[in-house]
Amino acid sequence: MKFTLRWLSICCLLALAGCSSLGVKPWERDLLARDDMLMNADALDLAYDEHIYFSKEASSGGQGFAGGGCGCN
Amino acid sequence: MKKLLFLLLLVAAPLRAEVYPIGDLDLKAQHGKVVYLDFWASWCKPCRESFPWMNALLARYPADKFTVITINLDAESSAMQRFLDKVPANFDVYHDPSGRLAEQFKLEGMPTSYLIGADGKVVKRHLGFYTKDVERYQREIEGLL
Amino acid sequence: MQLSKKRIAGLLSAATCSLLCTPAQARDEWNVDSAVLYYGESDGRIKLVEPVIAARKDLGDDEIVSLKLVFDALTGASANGAVPSTMPQTFTSPSGKSTYTVAANDTPLDPSFHDTRVAYSMNWDKPTDRTHRRNLGFNLSHEYDFTSLGFNGMWQIDSNQKNTTWSYGANLELDAINPVGGAPEPLTDMLAQDKNSGAESRNIVDLLFGVTQIIDRSSLFQVNLSLSQANGYMTDPYKLVSVVDSSSGQPLRYLFENRPDSRMRSSIFAQYRKMMPSKDILTASYRYMTDDWGVKSNTFDLSYRFRLGERYYLQPNVRYYQQSAADFYRYFLVDGEPLPAEVSADYRLGEMDATTVGIKFGEDIDGRHQWSLRLEQYLQSGDSSPPEAFGQLTQQDLYPDVTATIVQFNYSFVF
Repeated sequence: MKFTLRWLSICCLLALAGCSSLGVKPWERDLLARDDMLMNADALDLAYDEHIYFSKEASSGGQGFAGGGCGCN
Repeated sequence: MKKLLFLLLLVAAPLRAEVYPIGDLDLKAQHGKVVYLDFWASWCKPCRESFPWMNALLARYPADKFTVITINLDAESSAMQRFLDKVPANFDVYHDPSGRLAEQFKLEGMPTSYLIGADGKVVKRHLGFYTKDVERYQREIEGLL
Repeated sequence: MQLSKKRIAGLLSAATCSLLCTPAQARDEWNVDSAVLYYGESDGRIKLVEPVIAARKDLGDDEIVSLKLVFDALTGASANGAVPSTMPQTFTSPSGKSTYTVAANDTPLDPSFHDTRVAYSMNWDKPTDRTHRRNLGFNLSHEYDFTSLGFNGMWQIDSNQKNTTWSYGANLELDAINPVGGAPEPLTDMLAQDKNSGAESRNIVDLLFGVTQIIDRSSLFQVNLSLSQANGYMTDPYKLVSVVDSSSGQPLRYLFENRPDSRMRSSIFAQYRKMMPSKDILTASYRYMTDDWGVKSNTFDLSYRFRLGERYYLQPNVRYYQQSAADFYRYFLVDGEPLPAEVSADYRLGEMDATTVGIKFGEDIDGRHQWSLRLEQYLQSGDSSPPEAFGQLTQQDLYPDVTATIVQFNYSFVF
């Protein structure tokens, strides 16, 4: 099971890396730059959820915030 | 009396950017002047930071030797207008919603500006706008004047 | 205490409010987010109130510093791990100085939970050049019986004209646990009150690797892999395991639980976000987690934000969580059978699933002031009559449902 997870992860990431044809031109990021489209939108909600679920369940974390946005500078 | 008041208001109000369609842009007509060509959009935070500085450039350097021309890449002109209502711009804005000119210049990031010499040749490209680099940008312009 | 301590799980935990391309913020301005959460479980169980304030400032050229302060006050009762019985039961409270009695057929709940916690975190996020970004942070949390200190760092690399972002992060957490009444000797009888004074400790190291990819003008997705290694005191000092009579199933005695002194977890998380032509937003995510305690979990989350004009939105969401039991989880132990080295009857390590349904309504007043109200209902359930139940245990609910209501109000402003 652990073995499968590792390979699944590697395959996903390789597939992603190969997806360099995906994406937009630098001037086409208007929608992605919006506050509600940012990966860290509603960060306070996420922190509260993490606190509640960490306290009631056996799993926690995993989420990240990097990427997306306007891509400026 | 009313006419005087109106004239006073007109003078007192900050110079508003003139917005033109991209088809009207004629860079060749600028030969003889150093041009700071800037590509921006309303959703781009560093662009917002660069506006006061670009306004300052116009005040600093003589109008017959230097000008600032900007290209707006907002898909929706309403977003561009809302931005210009809030952020003063003393330079001309050409609206390029389909990004035609950006494609031609092969823009790699937002914002991008090009320093174009009086002979019409591109001298420098700035990828991104950094407030810590404004002195360097000014030196580059002065070097051409 | 389990319920109130906030483990800043993973360096990219929301607590640190990491800030790529933050909302349009001018220099010399603080972006402040304030919120208060009310969480209340049914049946006299845990209730808490948690106000939070977070502030962020752009120091120029996208160098951002942020601070966050969390306060929480918790009261109520929590399941102590023992099974219900057809006869009333008496338990010694954690301090060892008093007792509490549980009525017949009631789930034993320890009523002495009340605690206040204060947590503080700081973060510094700065681009090192056009395509690289560094984030460093630290956090400190303190409550009566638990103190935690954490350090986190993240390195981000953009490629493909910033359509792809690669993140590498690490988090170190150091915890000191000072159980009320002292840490009990594992697997000893509750009545013996064989406890050690002095603090217990543990440390947790997390590593995270993530990729965020822009798909098109209106959508993007993210995949993260994370590994977590915890070492030290992992046991809950307040939890018991009932030892029941092998024929009647009646509790004979209670032992303090014992967990392994290490835990290695790994997870894969994927999230997809898309903006519709109507400016509605769909967000869907999935997380699979597995660890060396035998727990495997699946989390599905789906939310849809309906844009109601320029200023308002309504966002329903649903979350489904399912976990398998830890290898050493037992509903109860049977008298006469060999004692396992590790055992816990803490329902949080049992086989269960949980569903959250919620709705959030918010307004952006003028681009500089926003507020929102969120309401959620959480229902957690497991097997109330597992096959191993016998005797009086078959009449009891060995895994009662836990329901909780969550109300949260947010207010954000710029000054």
